[in-house]
Amino acid sequence: MVNVGDMLVGYATDENVRKRGASGGLVTAVLAAALEKGLVENVVVMKHINEFEAVPIITNDVDEVLASTGSLHSVPVNLAKYAMGRKVAMPAKPCDAQAVIEQAKRGMIDLDNTYIVGLNCGGSMHPVTTKKMLVAMYDIDPEDVVGEDIEKGKLIFKTKNGEEKAIAIDELEEAGFGRRESCRFCTLKIPVNADLACGNWGVIGDLAGSATFCQVMNDKGVKLLENAIEAGRIEVEPASDKAIAIRAKVNDVMVNLGSTLEKEIFPDIPDKERMQYYMEQMEDCIDCGACKEVCPVCACGEDSKCTMFHSLVDNYKMSMYHLVRLLHLSDSCIACGQCSDVCPSDIPITLLQSRFAIPSQRKREYTPGMNVDDVPPFFEVILK
Amino acid sequence: MAEEGWEPKIVAFCCNWCSYGGADTAGMGRFQQPASTRIIKVMCSGRIDPLHVFNAFLEGADAVLVTGCHIGDCHYVNGNEKTEVKYKFLEEMLQQLGLEPDRLHLNWISASEGERFANFITDVTAKVKELGPSPLKPEGVK
Repeated sequence: MVNVGDMLVGYATDENVRKRGASGGLVTAVLAAALEKGLVENVVVMKHINEFEAVPIITNDVDEVLASTGSLHSVPVNLAKYAMGRKVAMPAKPCDAQAVIEQAKRGMIDLDNTYIVGLNCGGSMHPVTTKKMLVAMYDIDPEDVVGEDIEKGKLIFKTKNGEEKAIAIDELEEAGFGRRESCRFCTLKIPVNADLACGNWGVIGDLAGSATFCQVMNDKGVKLLENAIEAGRIEVEPASDKAIAIRAKVNDVMVNLGSTLEKEIFPDIPDKERMQYYMEQMEDCIDCGACKEVCPVCACGEDSKCTMFHSLVDNYKMSMYHLVRLLHLSDSCIACGQCSDVCPSDIPITLLQSRFAIPSQRKREYTPGMNVDDVPPFFEVILK
Repeated sequence: MAEEGWEPKIVAFCCNWCSYGGADTAGMGRFQQPASTRIIKVMCSGRIDPLHVFNAFLEGADAVLVTGCHIGDCHYVNGNEKTEVKYKFLEEMLQQLGLEPDRLHLNWISASEGERFANFITDVTAKVKELGPSPLKPEGVK
């Protein structure tokens, strides 16, 4: 029997899946079982393209699920788009899960039909940045890379001819590479908002590297796990106190680092200079609208205020598009960083947006995407 | 700082039932007030979208006033409560953007409070005069 709140260590029973998975293949096996037993009709998985890229695909083929892969470079995507009108299960990083829940709050998807298997995340790296970093810092041809790993704060790349090279992540980040900027100040590392929170933190002893730590967050999580156990795809055992403590400690370290970096990333700008700062940052904007297109919490669709009432002719000092978005997202921005990723003019939109969103959310003690029952502060007035 | 003889342009959104009446009463009661405001009448303060405020600033307003009925007196039951929610976000956002807090005001004025309306306009005009033209004012607009 699995109960809500259980802390478990588990692995896939199939040797192949166990070996291929990053840590025991539990997530892959759970997803495969959900599909097999008809708990869901589709599963979203990451399809391996090359060492640096994996794209989410939606599938109803169990073999494809088993062949799926994780990737350090799978930057957040708008997973809710895959869930619309379907019964799906999906693996998700904490920020992906936040986005899915925000979409559910706005009535775009039905959470009862969406199973989210959360994955611990210490931050993701943009594929393009990584390739540049390999040349600049590691002196390795990106084509030669066959594997990578993070160990004790060091990022390790393995090459075709069996060489390994490790550089501390701090060092990489100082040089302007490493994790994406929004990951550095992120403080949600364990996906407690998902149905299951899985990861390799807290897997110790003989099991290290070949099992997954899994926390059951709600009833849907129970269903997922029990279904997989019934199907004979996974085996679980209760986690030891030591394992739980280690997992909590890893999380604390990551969260503290995030909070420290937040102060570095957002230096105070005096009142009088802020307007100038924002204007300078945004002056390169070419009004392509890509940042809205990728935004995982935006549920406005095509005819939204930010685009409908925005005219290039009226952009005297600042564009209406940005003004509306800065305001509109101040309660819901999850700082996933996709807008910065896609911006063709390299405007750090996530950082600008977070300057508005973080204080606004903290003041209201509201974190977007945690619980579907938390009403966004913008919807405060309800007709009684 | 502002040039000699510069007069601020202030956009005031007034709701049909209370604050517009208040402006009327101010005129009828012959309370003196500066000629700096441009009043835009809306049916309810709840209709005032942050978008309208942004537009006013982008088109050259030096200050924007959002006015409506007192809480509990709304002609449409709770329109002004909705205004308040939106206004709080708007206020924080414009402050973070670097706009001086004195350039945006929310005030509840009933139809009988003509003097209050006149005093409000006088106060705001004096404050904005001190601040000078808005940083969001387009080039060439006075």
